[in-house]
Amino acid sequence: MAGIAALTLAGCQDKSGGGSEAGGASRDQIRAVGSSTVYPFTTAVAEQFARKNAGFKAPIVESTGTGAGMKLFCAGVGAQFPDIENASRRIKKSEVEDCAKNGVKQIIEVQIGIDGIALAESKAGPAMALTQEDIYKALAAEPYGKPQTAKTWKDVNPSLPATAIRVLGPPPTSGTRDAFAELILDKGCNADPAMAALKKTDADKHKAICTKVREDGAYVESGENDNLIVQKLEANPDSVGIFGYSFLEENADKLRGIAIKGVVPTYETIASYQYPGARPLYIYVKGAHLTAIPGLKQFVAEYASAWGPDGYLKRRGLIAAPADVRAKNAEIATKLTPFDPAQAE
Amino acid sequence: MNSTLVAGVPATGAEPPAPARTPTDWRGAKMQGSIRRRYAAERRFRLLGLGAVLLSAGFLVFLLWTMVGNGARGFTQTELRLDVDFPASTLMIDPAALAGPGKDAALAGADIEGATTAAATAAFGTDGERLLSDGAWLTVRDAIAADPTILRRKAQIWVPAATNIDLAAKGDAAPEDEAAYARLDKAGVTKTGLNLTFLKNADSTDPTLVGVWGALKGSLLTMFVTIVLAFPVGVLSALYLEEYAPRNRWTDLIEVSINNLAAVPSIIFGLLGLAVFLNFMDMPRSAPIVGGLTLALMTMPVIVIAGRNAIKSVPPSIRDAALGIGASRVQVVFHHVLPLALPGILTGTIIGMARALGETAPLLMIGMRAFIASPPGGLTEPATVLPVQIFLWSDEVSRGFVEKTSAAIIVLLVFLMLMNGIAIYLRNRFERRW
Repeated sequence: MAGIAALTLAGCQDKSGGGSEAGGASRDQIRAVGSSTVYPFTTAVAEQFARKNAGFKAPIVESTGTGAGMKLFCAGVGAQFPDIENASRRIKKSEVEDCAKNGVKQIIEVQIGIDGIALAESKAGPAMALTQEDIYKALAAEPYGKPQTAKTWKDVNPSLPATAIRVLGPPPTSGTRDAFAELILDKGCNADPAMAALKKTDADKHKAICTKVREDGAYVESGENDNLIVQKLEANPDSVGIFGYSFLEENADKLRGIAIKGVVPTYETIASYQYPGARPLYIYVKGAHLTAIPGLKQFVAEYASAWGPDGYLKRRGLIAAPADVRAKNAEIATKLTPFDPAQAE
Repeated sequence: MNSTLVAGVPATGAEPPAPARTPTDWRGAKMQGSIRRRYAAERRFRLLGLGAVLLSAGFLVFLLWTMVGNGARGFTQTELRLDVDFPASTLMIDPAALAGPGKDAALAGADIEGATTAAATAAFGTDGERLLSDGAWLTVRDAIAADPTILRRKAQIWVPAATNIDLAAKGDAAPEDEAAYARLDKAGVTKTGLNLTFLKNADSTDPTLVGVWGALKGSLLTMFVTIVLAFPVGVLSALYLEEYAPRNRWTDLIEVSINNLAAVPSIIFGLLGLAVFLNFMDMPRSAPIVGGLTLALMTMPVIVIAGRNAIKSVPPSIRDAALGIGASRVQVVFHHVLPLALPGILTGTIIGMARALGETAPLLMIGMRAFIASPPGGLTEPATVLPVQIFLWSDEVSRGFVEKTSAAIIVLLVFLMLMNGIAIYLRNRFERRW
């Protein structure tokens, strides 16, 4: 793999003077890759950007998933590498290092808003109210290091109905699953002081116990297609689905959000981070491309104008970040201040 | 009855008397039972065959029924009549400027979106803009561009309705949208007609503005590259292997390799395309030329195998006769063998092309699953193809995309049927019997 990458780079440098047509040595439209959660927002901005700026071509947006997108984004500087990475989580330290190794040193991080990971059931369902501990105990492969025995929600918590545990959710390759593990399972796991202590002594074991999901059929991996989960929930009112908040909002006449610790997923509870499943969404812009790719600066500015509570991204299901976060990121978007690699975890 | 002999035994008296045989008793219970079993087996087999045909026809009917049932609505669109009072609006465009070359700049500079929103509020109440599609102002802009004189008067413009209203008109929406539609319908400002946008636009984020043309054109360009490469290479390989190549261990090895290649899962070709065309040869990502090259690799072995079988089935007597009257090898091949083998080769080619047309996996690897808002202009411009477009739409949040997905499937099926139809026509035209 490294050999191929090196070859490509060498080939690209050879041709950069020639300006070959097929090599894409120059490009007149923006290319974005990355998260499927951010995809609908970036495409909406791309469309609006193309309508408002008649001189620029519409940007190309590819939905590859956050992790695969980061690999493409960090592969190097040049016309064949994307300019923008859509991310449903923050860039990792290893990714920053990978980027730096390939010459991608200037990265601009912009938080575009908040997304909520909603747990939902059919309107005909039993109207459950859960806590992170309940969810962790019901879904972990080995809850608190002990074998999983729960068959119904009642086994987990006697106040819950005696319906079989059946949760439809994203596969491990999805950014939504990462966030679900981090925001819900991990929190539920750490409710046990022994687990919180284990995190300090043996982080790997802690991760395995706290985020590994059972594989005996109670958790159904439903691919990346959230519409499918909505259909299945309608057909099986006893099951629970995990997906992005925008799907819950769009299907509000069929589905009901499940309260976690008494907080129902709504626009307000997610915007204030009261709902435990709230997570920030980002775009990363390649600093070295800002002057080379026409319209990239204007595109970032267009994004900043769209993410407010009155912006058109709200209608697409994006939840606006608090006013101070928006102000800070709007400043980054206009001044294009690079992100400090030391901040990455 | 007695004179009836068992068939095949000659009834000549000269033969020595055969050992005494009891003639078959056709009316006997045993024989009658056996005959009944025989007929029953015939009937059973016929019914089983008929059942198999009916079952597969049933699946096809079910598929078409659900697709047409869901997708037919995707080809229609609800429009609302918007009364725009241009002289009273905040729109600042000089009609004279629209006549000159500065037309685009003048249109881009004006706040048509704001004027459309204002007109919607005036016409339909405070939430009026929510009833219109996000792209309603584009229709208004086009109307102004087509006839600048409307800026001097009040005009009635039919603009696309929001996707909720569109679904309500088709009877599949939340109760409040149904109520809003009923109110509009009563006022007589709605109409539902053929959705031309769907046939001439490319991808969009708003289901009222999406179109299938971008993906269809991408598919056509990709298929063009595939056939231009795979057909000549495949047919020439088949001809060489059948007519010229010596039979030895090397040609056996090549034959086995080609058969293996035809059975390789398509995703592997995608990875190959990624490594060779994008990473090594530095070709543009998401371009139809790369998609076509990748699919040509996948289709070629199918054409070679079908071509070899078709060439093999040309009777050797035809070759011998042609050689016998002094034709050269090339003349034999091009005047006799190839025309006779062509129907078979074409059938194989179309099957290979149909498979390539429906292929998604390898194209995902080379970046053809992107959001592309304008139809591709050439072979190196970013494009997507029909099956990938269907895959992308099936994952969209907005409910309006459900019917658009089914409509795109119908377009793909029609395209496939056209291809198969051409194949059958060509086969019948070239077919010769002897």
